[in-house]
Amino acid sequence: MKKFGAAFAVLAFFVGFALAQEYKVVPLGQGEWKDFTIGKYGGYLVVGSLDNPKTFNHHIAQETSSTDVTGMLHAGLTEVNPITDMVEPGLAKSWEISEDGMVITFHLRQGLQWSDGHPFTADDVVFTFNGVIFNEDVRTDYRDVLLVEGKLPTCEKVDDYTVRFTLAAPFRPFLREIGGAIYPAHKLQHLSRVYNPDADPEALNSVWGVDTPPEEIVGMGPFKLKQFIPDQLVVIERNPYYWKVDPQGNRLPYLDGVKYVIAFSLDTIMLKFRNGELDVYAPRPEDIATLKAEAAQKGIKILIDPTKPLFGTTWIAFNQDCPNEKLREYFRMVEFRRAMSHLVDRQTIINNVYLGLGVPQWSPVSMLSPFYYPDVPKYDYDPEAAAKLLDQIGLIDRNGDGWRDFPDGTTFEFELNTNAGNTIREQTCQIFVADCAKVGIKVNFNPINFNALVTKLLGGQYEACLLGLTGSSEPHGGANVERSCGGLHFWKYSDCEDPTPVAKRIDELFDLGVKTYDFNEAYEYYKEYQILAAENLFLIYTVNMLYRYAYYENLQNTAGFSPLAGALGFAEVLWKKNPNMVGNRVIG
Amino acid sequence: MLGYIARRILYMIPVLFIISIISFFVLQLMPGNFTTAFKLNPRFSKEEIARLEARYGLDKPAYIRYWKWITGIITRGDFGYSMETQQPAFDALFRGRLGWTLLISFGTLIFTWLIAIPIGVFSAVRQYSVADYVLTFFGFIGVSIPNFFFALVVLWFLVSVLKVGERGLGIGGLFDVQYVNAPWSWAKFVNFMWHLLPVLVVVGLAGTAGLIRYMRGQLLDTLGQQYVLTARAKGLRERIVIWKHAVRNAINPLITMLGMSLPDLFSGAFFAAIIMGLPTVERAFWNALQRQDEYVVMSGLLFFAFLLQVGNLLGDIMLAWVDPRIRYD
Repeated sequence: MKKFGAAFAVLAFFVGFALAQEYKVVPLGQGEWKDFTIGKYGGYLVVGSLDNPKTFNHHIAQETSSTDVTGMLHAGLTEVNPITDMVEPGLAKSWEISEDGMVITFHLRQGLQWSDGHPFTADDVVFTFNGVIFNEDVRTDYRDVLLVEGKLPTCEKVDDYTVRFTLAAPFRPFLREIGGAIYPAHKLQHLSRVYNPDADPEALNSVWGVDTPPEEIVGMGPFKLKQFIPDQLVVIERNPYYWKVDPQGNRLPYLDGVKYVIAFSLDTIMLKFRNGELDVYAPRPEDIATLKAEAAQKGIKILIDPTKPLFGTTWIAFNQDCPNEKLREYFRMVEFRRAMSHLVDRQTIINNVYLGLGVPQWSPVSMLSPFYYPDVPKYDYDPEAAAKLLDQIGLIDRNGDGWRDFPDGTTFEFELNTNAGNTIREQTCQIFVADCAKVGIKVNFNPINFNALVTKLLGGQYEACLLGLTGSSEPHGGANVERSCGGLHFWKYSDCEDPTPVAKRIDELFDLGVKTYDFNEAYEYYKEYQILAAENLFLIYTVNMLYRYAYYENLQNTAGFSPLAGALGFAEVLWKKNPNMVGNRVIG
Repeated sequence: MLGYIARRILYMIPVLFIISIISFFVLQLMPGNFTTAFKLNPRFSKEEIARLEARYGLDKPAYIRYWKWITGIITRGDFGYSMETQQPAFDALFRGRLGWTLLISFGTLIFTWLIAIPIGVFSAVRQYSVADYVLTFFGFIGVSIPNFFFALVVLWFLVSVLKVGERGLGIGGLFDVQYVNAPWSWAKFVNFMWHLLPVLVVVGLAGTAGLIRYMRGQLLDTLGQQYVLTARAKGLRERIVIWKHAVRNAINPLITMLGMSLPDLFSGAFFAAIIMGLPTVERAFWNALQRQDEYVVMSGLLFFAFLLQVGNLLGDIMLAWVDPRIRYD
């Protein structure tokens, strides 16, 4: 009887515990998840990776070869829905924003556990922000994006499941930016100088390096690290404590794990995919024809959505502060930059360089962003209009050598750089240079080493340059580029001391855009900014590559493949019809 | 002989020291530094980048960084750390790679010599025969075909022509994915051999072709010598004449080459390693070079310089060993 009583008590404890767990239900088959099905367990997803992870410390990780893996190991207070791109509850089940927009209170899900079974509480959240992200010892790019009027928010614990943030001013992107990985206080707190003054300032940067025993790396994400074999393989496996379930109450993820096969060349990864060794592959434009030819026979599905260009932009910048004073004068003229935009033959670039897999880009905001405004002024390919504009501003051929000249009679010419080795950028430049030559503009194309180019660009020493920047849904992500004093305001650093009226207005719009939580109001600000940017062409946008993905049909719930989901951001709901199959073959 | 070896080892120290100075300052000629790659990330402010440079000491002049690094080696045996992975420099280069690199390299070396020497001898003995022309022709192809291209062709051939995927076989890397983290078994060993074969062919090809040419040329030289004529005149069997008298003398320069090829053991497989996805030290070094991961690059350079010197010494020692006429004392 006594024994039975004890057993009953244990049972009651577990039931009670289970009831207290506030899981998040992913409504597969409903709403925006309507194209998703309830899956079955088992199998590893096998993907190719171009390099080793350099660290398993998510806040330090910079290169995709690291973040593709670490992104799977962690979760944040909020998360972005991979289909709608809207901010949703994550580890926080709900939140309130105060009247003045400066105090945000998060209510955490109760009864959750870390991947090692340790309970998850508000202490972990407070530690993550005060001890890691806001800690200047830590080399992370999550900190600067949370600066509001130059100040970091404060973070305090209200009770075990409530955390409060106080901002210096209302900050609309806060809910999105606060979704960074939460770190386990029970594992790392002693390494932070905020909590332990004796800690080594480098400790939080070097912790969870590539030599760390996998069980030491603890997270709230759908997977946990199992093994890393340098130059060969990274294996992550199901986190048995993950806090999401499907509508039937099955705990996610469905997959046993993910294997990242490391190969150092895209050619090899493509061959491995064709050989049935990988489940998924993001084909280059030149791979599409080969894959299409054997798709039916091998069971490959190819996804190309013309409405889904990638985040990020490619552009030509003219240095309005460039050392050559004669050039500077022209680079500062909006007519000159419009003429240059008229010389970018975007359709030919799409056809010849992107093999049809591109769309022209006109606005500084990524096309997938809800803030994207499609109807900005466009200065499309029109060599005649370009020639007219150039005539107007006095750039005409004065000595009959076929090249336009400065008013003093010397040939008008400038150097155009891009990073050597990027064939898409090099080819785009060549097309542009050829079109410039047709109207008598002499462009000296000089592709150079990437680091040399960055040094030249940020040092303000270049004349013109074609490069790209990463983008995101949030236009405020471009603040460091667009604001007159931003570190990446490389087309005119002098805006910082002596801003033009337009630069001033853009600064204002960026301030206004983050101070309202009202989407429609913010949209109007960013719309004005996009119109100003497109009219003034500080950067002349070229073409944006479309999202491409290929996978074997054994893989289910693939409806989430889109640039919004990042690298397999919806992997927790992927499942395999035959769990023993990799690619199109059964692994026995 | 021992005194000679000791002397040679002593000489290595100043040479390595000079090499380290030259390479460190040549490295400074590269534009930018480790933090340059972070600079185009809009999520990093200028101040954060400056903090990062200060943390890695990159805001200090090169000679101070060099001094810190070299004194760390002399006083603590500390070769610095990788800025990218926060590992000790040698871990960043060798961990999980050294064994595989040596295996691939020695495998290739043995493969190369086993094939090249007999073919070279055959070719020389039957100079200007049809067989010689055919072998010479393939030899020239082997020397002239770029390693990375050949690797790609081999992989493409396996996938597109032989369609090995349909037989459940993988390409590239050392194993099929299900074997990589499995314990060793017969099936895993067979799979490893399947993956190693194309590597030996690709990496070995250029070396084999070159070695055939050397062996042929050297042997043709010796075959014209008077002592070969004498040996034949004595009525020795042709096999003895060739292998014991001619080859034995012809092979000396090749022994020196063998010693000097020690650093090649690490670098020879470089391009093939990238295409075929092999864990090799040289690729890790190349990665550090691209990332301007200063201490890893320096440690790598020092290591390769050391290998070259050891290789030279080994070559000289082996030469004295196979050729009784050569004595260093």
